[in-house]
Amino acid sequence: MALPRGVIGDLERIVGSRHVIHDPHDLRIFERDGSISGALPDAVVLPADRDEVAGVVRLAARHAIPVVPRGTGTGLSGGAITLRGGIALQLSRMRRIVEIDPVARTAVVEPGVVNADLQQAAARLGLFYAPDPSSQKACTIGGNAAENSGGPHCLYYGVTTNHVIGLEVVFADGSVAWLGGDAPDRVGLDLLGVLVGSEGTLGTITRIKVRLLPVPESIVTLMAAFPTIETASHAVSDVIGHGIVPAALEMMDQVTIGAVEAHYRAGYPTDAGAVLLVEVDGLQESTGELSGAIERILRANEATNLRTAADAAERELLWAGRKGAIGALGRIRPNYYLHDGVVPRTRLPDILRRVGEIGEHYRLPVANVFHAGDGNLHPNILFDLRDEGVLTQVEEAGEEMLRAVVELGGTLSGEHGIGIEKNAFMPWIYGPDDLDAMLRVKHVLDPGGMLNPGKIFPDPEREPRLVARAGFCAEARWW
Amino acid sequence: MVVDGLAPGRVERPATAEELAEILRAADQAGEAVVPVGGGRALGLGDVPERFDVALETRGLCRVLERSQADLTVSVEAGITIEELNAELAEIGQFLPIDPFNAPGHTIGGVLATGLSGPLRLRYGSPRDFVIGLRVALPDGRLATSGGRVVKNVSGYDLNKLHQGALGALGVIVAASFKVFPRPHHEVTLETRHEDPWAEAARALALAMPPVALEATSDGRVLARLAGTADGVGRIAGELGWTEVGAEAWEEHARRAGEAWARISVPPGRLRSVVDGLPAGATWWASPGVGIAHWTGELEAGAVRAAREAAEDAGGSLVLLSAPPELKREVGAWGTAPATATWMSRLRDAFDPQRTISPGRYVI
Repeated sequence: MALPRGVIGDLERIVGSRHVIHDPHDLRIFERDGSISGALPDAVVLPADRDEVAGVVRLAARHAIPVVPRGTGTGLSGGAITLRGGIALQLSRMRRIVEIDPVARTAVVEPGVVNADLQQAAARLGLFYAPDPSSQKACTIGGNAAENSGGPHCLYYGVTTNHVIGLEVVFADGSVAWLGGDAPDRVGLDLLGVLVGSEGTLGTITRIKVRLLPVPESIVTLMAAFPTIETASHAVSDVIGHGIVPAALEMMDQVTIGAVEAHYRAGYPTDAGAVLLVEVDGLQESTGELSGAIERILRANEATNLRTAADAAERELLWAGRKGAIGALGRIRPNYYLHDGVVPRTRLPDILRRVGEIGEHYRLPVANVFHAGDGNLHPNILFDLRDEGVLTQVEEAGEEMLRAVVELGGTLSGEHGIGIEKNAFMPWIYGPDDLDAMLRVKHVLDPGGMLNPGKIFPDPEREPRLVARAGFCAEARWW
Repeated sequence: MVVDGLAPGRVERPATAEELAEILRAADQAGEAVVPVGGGRALGLGDVPERFDVALETRGLCRVLERSQADLTVSVEAGITIEELNAELAEIGQFLPIDPFNAPGHTIGGVLATGLSGPLRLRYGSPRDFVIGLRVALPDGRLATSGGRVVKNVSGYDLNKLHQGALGALGVIVAASFKVFPRPHHEVTLETRHEDPWAEAARALALAMPPVALEATSDGRVLARLAGTADGVGRIAGELGWTEVGAEAWEEHARRAGEAWARISVPPGRLRSVVDGLPAGATWWASPGVGIAHWTGELEAGAVRAAREAAEDAGGSLVLLSAPPELKREVGAWGTAPATATWMSRLRDAFDPQRTISPGRYVI
């Protein structure tokens, strides 16, 4: 769409002319996020504060212009893509950590604060913020809240929604409200709980209040190698089945190990079929006992090369390999595509077999690196966009993998969001009445349908197939 | 099945979710008012209903739908009681940490719809944190599912949250799926009596491994539950230095309630000052680490107003969990309406436009 006459001027009056981008060349920078789709906004606006956000939203509402909030564009499901053009609300100027209360163990941040920056600020007070997406060096707390992001340590600690206790939101009509707060059991409907994970379709988040946790007394990180991905999967089920929920329980397959080891030299055994990374935390006494029990369970499941990180540096190296795995996969193919379906964790062996078969069928290498403890897959389909017609193959393979996930009782996304990548598949997991209930909420909070249009729900205006464009590069991609 | 002195015109006892949805739809069409009833443990919550035609009893929906040990998940129908479900889970070394007061006998549907919680919230959070899926009967007769049966899920809006604590404002919960928890390897219950229970509680909360539950009461008693590995629990128990008592202390504590009782929910750091402001000699029990206190006795309108003002000034609320209808009419069950009440009413309009479910009881 083209913006109505005068809108650029109005936007400049709200945020200042320096903070409105509308030159077609400059707009291209905001065309994409971490997914493989893209669309150009008509204008990018960089508000300084909540009132400017509200001003932009009111203006957009008056002219029926779509508004899409955007953090650092690391999202993997197209949440920040301006599918119908309109205004990209780039929130990177709103990046203040407003306050950290070390006694109440809470922090208030603006949406543009990078996850790792909050972690660092909290660490200085002996605290941490539990959700730790692998993209945490780049992704923002606003984006995390909008997508309800996860991360390795969400196995024990829960995902973003379990840690956000308050949100300041600009609604579709430009009105502003705080949802939630420090007190438990707020009177009235839990709008906070619905806004988290609503992918910018119900309101724009302008402040986030999060809960922080004290850094545990002791952390033990174990690495174990397994002959096959199946044996590693059984080990995962066995650990949980023994009543042990570690802080994190992550798996990497052989393809991933090779790429990661070449890059990070973290000491992963490259001849292993799969590697598990297990972390327990808590009291000194507890981590000793639990890691001992976990070791025994892993060994009973054919684990070899068991290694415990001797110090914080070694632990960080093991985690650097895990969190940087996707970037390292660029050594194999320049591009990747992944879904993040979740299966009941006992179905991991079944789904990983299916994923392998699908990859072979399409002759596409697949690298699995994922949150095994949660049953949250990340099959990275590796490809080179320069290969003629490869993208269709990649999309079909991804779709088949998701289909298999759903057939095993799973769901479409564990932490990346639905966006425009999986919205066409929503009817696989929800019936018409289920989707209708969700849409009632959408229609109440955004009657004009201008907040991040075309996301989450099946979009009649768009082919379910992903729209791909050339020029996509896998470097510096995160998830 | 009497709610605030009102008896229903009839009682319906569906055996399936579909039957329940059909009863709800028919009542909606006939313009009848429906009050869902689970275990009947929280019928006093909320304002006096405007009308009460049909008591919709959910106890017939009492099956465990799916239970998977290694997945740490369970799916149940709404009419099962917490005790029945936990007995099933105990067989496989698991439990659901939902322990509302006025126990036993709360149903899963009831405890989710009312949003009541108990001492274990300190460690495990409220059901809001571990409900992974809901099935809800809507007044138009549809059955809508949100979430699923996996532990991590961001597919679509998290309507699980919207129905919890909503007292049926948007529909009647007919089934729920949960993330469950392994029973701790080792647990002990400790008790102390102290002239300053708040200070003792604060000391317990500051331990390297805080208790999973910690309750202080107006008679100067503090009760703590430690859970973890034997060595870890042993060390922390030593640091705390309280007296070990039997775990049945928790069952006894969970039976607390009152003909008239109120829940004060404030930021944890403000709880003491609000509770200190209650009338002299008031009976209360509190979760200092959570920010919730319950107050019972002869609640008098002036005292309730004053306590509510203090709670609301602290950024929280005072809700009447049960009270004589006259008191409810005088001071209201909920207190000041939330700033976003307009949005909430519009949401209610989208789900229950005729106010078929418990008209007048909820805050919107």
